[in-house]
Amino acid sequence: MKNIIFDFEYLAPKTLEEALTMLSQYNEEERKVIAGGQSLLILMRQKLITPQYLIDIKGLSDLEYIKFDKKEGLKIGALTIHRAVELSPIIQKEFSVLSEMEQNLSNVETRNWGTIGGDIAHADPCGDPAVVLIALNARLKLNGPSGERTMDAEDFTVDFFETALQPGELLTEIQVPVLPPNTGVKFTKYNQISGDLGLASVAMSITLDKDKKTCSDVRIALGGVAPAPIRAKKAEDILKGKKISDALLAEAGQAASEEASPTTDIQATDEYRRELVKVLVKRVGVEALARAKKA
Amino acid sequence: MKKQLKFIVNGNPYDIWIEPRLLLVQVLRDELRLTGTHRGCDSGTCCVCTVNIDGKAVKSCSVLALQANGKEVLTIEGMANGPKLHPVQEAFVDNWAFQCGFCTSGQIMASNALLKENPNPTREEVQHAMDGHLCRCTGYNMINEAIRDAAGRLQAQKSEEKAK
Amino acid sequence: MSEYSIIGKPTRNVDGPAKVSGEAIYTFDMVLPNMLYGKLLRSPYPHAKIISIDTSEAEKLQGVKAVITGKDTPGGKYGLWRRFPELCDQTALAMDKVRFIGDPVAAVAAVTAEIAERALDLINVEYEILPAVFEPLEAIKDDAPLLHDDISNNINITRHVEWGDVDEAFKNSDYVREDRFIYGSQATASTEVHNSLASYDKGTGRLTVWSSTQSPYYLQLGLADALKMREGDIRVIKPHVGGGFGGKNSTMPDSVNAALLSMKTGMPVKIVYNREEEFTCTEHRTAMNLAVKMGFKKDGTIMAKEFKLITDGGAYTALGPTALYLTGTYATFPYNIPSYRYDGVRTYNNKMWSTSVRSFGATEAQYATEIQLDRAAHDLGISPIEIRRKNAMTPGYEAPGQYKVGSCGLLECIDKVEKRIKEKWTDLSKDEGVGFTTFAYMCGGIFNWIDTPYAFSGAMIKVNIDGTVDLFTQASDIGQGTNTVNVMICAEELGIGIEDIRLHPADTATTPVDLGAWASRETMMNGNAVKDAARNVKEKLIEIARMKLGENIVYDLEAKNKRIYLAIRPERGFSYYDIVKDAIKLNDGEPIIGVGHYTPHRKGMVSPAWAFGSMAVRVKVDREIGHVEVKDVIVAHDCGQPINPLGVRGQVEGSVHLGLGWGLCEEQPTDNGMVLNPSFADYKIIRTRDMPQIELHEVLTHEPEGPFGAKESAEGAVGPTAPAIANAIFHITGAEFSSNTLKPEKVWRAIREAEEKAKKPAKR
Repeated sequence: MKNIIFDFEYLAPKTLEEALTMLSQYNEEERKVIAGGQSLLILMRQKLITPQYLIDIKGLSDLEYIKFDKKEGLKIGALTIHRAVELSPIIQKEFSVLSEMEQNLSNVETRNWGTIGGDIAHADPCGDPAVVLIALNARLKLNGPSGERTMDAEDFTVDFFETALQPGELLTEIQVPVLPPNTGVKFTKYNQISGDLGLASVAMSITLDKDKKTCSDVRIALGGVAPAPIRAKKAEDILKGKKISDALLAEAGQAASEEASPTTDIQATDEYRRELVKVLVKRVGVEALARAKKA
Repeated sequence: MKKQLKFIVNGNPYDIWIEPRLLLVQVLRDELRLTGTHRGCDSGTCCVCTVNIDGKAVKSCSVLALQANGKEVLTIEGMANGPKLHPVQEAFVDNWAFQCGFCTSGQIMASNALLKENPNPTREEVQHAMDGHLCRCTGYNMINEAIRDAAGRLQAQKSEEKAK
Repeated sequence: MSEYSIIGKPTRNVDGPAKVSGEAIYTFDMVLPNMLYGKLLRSPYPHAKIISIDTSEAEKLQGVKAVITGKDTPGGKYGLWRRFPELCDQTALAMDKVRFIGDPVAAVAAVTAEIAERALDLINVEYEILPAVFEPLEAIKDDAPLLHDDISNNINITRHVEWGDVDEAFKNSDYVREDRFIYGSQATASTEVHNSLASYDKGTGRLTVWSSTQSPYYLQLGLADALKMREGDIRVIKPHVGGGFGGKNSTMPDSVNAALLSMKTGMPVKIVYNREEEFTCTEHRTAMNLAVKMGFKKDGTIMAKEFKLITDGGAYTALGPTALYLTGTYATFPYNIPSYRYDGVRTYNNKMWSTSVRSFGATEAQYATEIQLDRAAHDLGISPIEIRRKNAMTPGYEAPGQYKVGSCGLLECIDKVEKRIKEKWTDLSKDEGVGFTTFAYMCGGIFNWIDTPYAFSGAMIKVNIDGTVDLFTQASDIGQGTNTVNVMICAEELGIGIEDIRLHPADTATTPVDLGAWASRETMMNGNAVKDAARNVKEKLIEIARMKLGENIVYDLEAKNKRIYLAIRPERGFSYYDIVKDAIKLNDGEPIIGVGHYTPHRKGMVSPAWAFGSMAVRVKVDREIGHVEVKDVIVAHDCGQPINPLGVRGQVEGSVHLGLGWGLCEEQPTDNGMVLNPSFADYKIIRTRDMPQIELHEVLTHEPEGPFGAKESAEGAVGPTAPAIANAIFHITGAEFSSNTLKPEKVWRAIREAEEKAKKPAKR
């Protein structure tokens, strides 16, 4: 079997400050940060990533938390394991879509060790959390040598496995604002095999007017169909300000499928992935709408 | 450069020095000679190597051994109570829940963690919890039945213990 | 049948406690003192001449103990079709050229696996790249590059079978249809990769090899041929094996090179494949192109069948010709085909060689047959079940010059499944449908391409003074439960308990030859040998008991429930344990030894017996995205007398799972000879959430040739699974398929096509 066959220096900072210091000590090419390592270790076993210094932040328990406040919304420490997000009662109550997404993220074994921050920072275009967080209008907190900054989750992933993290920066927190009233959110992904990475995924957040009829706001995020998770803004425009019907959702699906820029690989063609977007947007929309009406 | 790893495996304390590049599964199999934990893939996608870390099912190929520092690891070798098989192991034998047996250690360790969390799972809940486990032989149904059978045995054991 | 005390009763696996406690030792787990780790350097090119190999840098690396290339080997050619030397086309390492991406060119042994792997990077091979060919239809062209210099048109082997007057029968048919199918390959994907540990004894010059193999005997022969050694100087031991599925019959480079490196270093050497090597460089299911023509009467009676096949053989022979032969045979099962003509060709090309995966030949043939039958039934206005019932094989059926059927419960199986469909599936939604198929499978092969002079299976029994029994057999338990079956058969025949028997399996030095675990042969062949050996012992014990009783010679004695007694007066008899003591004491202390063997005779050319069954699947199709959900499966199964119902169910469950994989999601796409999905992340195998429940009904028959009337149960249910799904989708949506692996995109496209087709007449 494949093991890691190169040596590296292993560094295990005890605090965030220590971690940031270490990050600034080594340049991007020679060091790598490991959190849960569920993807990284495989890449290292395949010799695709061969760092000289491995900075293990998995032990930074300060970054392992889930906090909720009616004003501030939800804050998830970057090193919170997937399973904790999945099982958190407050998340199940206030942001059930996050918990639902986690339930189908890979397998329990991965969720028990892998972290939500690690998942986002890995920036796999097929990763699930980023797609849901974009629909939830989440922001990400980054800490670096020049202090702390936040940015929209939407802007974080810039390309295949590439993020907006600056040298020396670490993703430290996920911030999800409180859902506006009359909002429903739904996420789905499709693959032939349950638990697999999605061939395409869609998250949609629909906010209805007070009358619960007209769509006052909508956010649609797509995963697996572009170099990074994307917003389907033209599809959003189709729904915004309208009374959402099945026909309108189908139209939004069509628009979203045109906004996607999927590639063809051994699992599916770009054409089929577009078709999936078209159908999934429609289906997710129906569910998000129903949830908004119930909210 | 070797680093110190102090952890507990199957109730036994270990204090060893290892190369940082070693995966937990390598330390278990090659250093501690606990070869009951098997390996099936190089991509973290078969769960054959599943062990329990602090009571949770985790893939031992997807954890650096040093990340288990200070943790409690349970492997298949730690399941039986002396010469007596654990109820989950008994249920696997009685239900023909393995064939070649190569993925079985991982299946049993995941079942053990599942049943601690959910003492009475439905067929669907078992399917969901065991979904990462690749088995080429059984078609999974008899494993599912064994896990639910084990749930009953564990509950019976608990009420027996209470009665005592 | 109820007279058995052990046969037919659900019995715990004799290897169970070891397997659930992590104590069962696989080759993968073995380490010997002073052991080295071996790795193989593989060709990056599909077809190239080796100009030179420079191993000097690798040899200099600290910790490297040996580096070998083709010229360091004895150059012995080997293969499974040993009867035909020209089909033994493999060598331990490439001698002059490489024929597929992954063909091994050098091997390294070092003190750690990491060092061995680093050493591979230091070996410098100069290649002259040759033109390559990858597709069977290209490979047979006159201008195609040749894989083997002396083999023209890359034709590895051909096969022709014919009976009846096929042309006349087509003329007399009311309805003739022709269909073409193309199948991809399927990986065996055993969870334990190929791995071997070899230890050379410097004193005696003998070799011991532990290997994850399905057939210790085949490996012993392969090693003897490759190393040019006497087979008696090679001992092969099969520890527990983490799955075979048809991929571990052949002698593979891991064992040969571990042996060579051990012979060179004088130290034990272990070679373990990684998962990528497993996917790219081990045997897989044969990809095929088929053209099938069937003629029918109006009432659905089959008149004739013509079957043309070209298989994608890859670089070498191995068991590939058997796949060619069996597909041609299974194309006639399980139906009465009065006239049949088959022409098959196996071609070489520049890919990893293809052979067998569980139910090979049957899966491929049945997919075409069962799909064609439903299309024909549809066109003829007959129900899918009726057309099968009308043509079903019955007991005693014979295919002229080919095979004979003994017991056959096919019609009962069809009836049973039909009844259950009507009772169970009364609430089909508009997106749901039913696919119905039948199947048959062999109980071991009669052909002797390996060219063994031994019986196909043997067994040996030693009875100890306290009545405990040591049972020695070479049968290969690779998970299917053969060890348990053998102990049960031995216990039943001797009338003792399972706890009385200690099994010594699969060691060529201590057990009589058995050909291994393939073609569902162990229960039939090794089961008969074990029964024969037990009968041999029993006769000796009965002789003593008869002497002690002093009874009339016409009275028969029986051994059962740990007693040996008069059949008509069971109270007159002795404890088995007492008779054993007497037998040993009365015979000057000579141990009681029984031997047994089995070779099929007068059963045609294919198999001594055939298992049968039928299957129905309930399928739901998501028309918008092409997702296929198999919701429920019903199987009725004639495996004769089930030996261990738990094991039988396990085999059927596993077969259906593998069939679902071939039918729905498993494939091995290649690009210029390179496998594109060599990991479990990209090679899709059905996990537990997508596995339907299976309702299994055993239809009991008694097979005169089988031990206690038993037949196979290990592979039959693979074949009917995929066509049942394809047929269900056809009935729901009208979508037709000419290939396997019905991934959602393929289904989605087929549904769109069917919709277009349905629209067309309206437009006119």
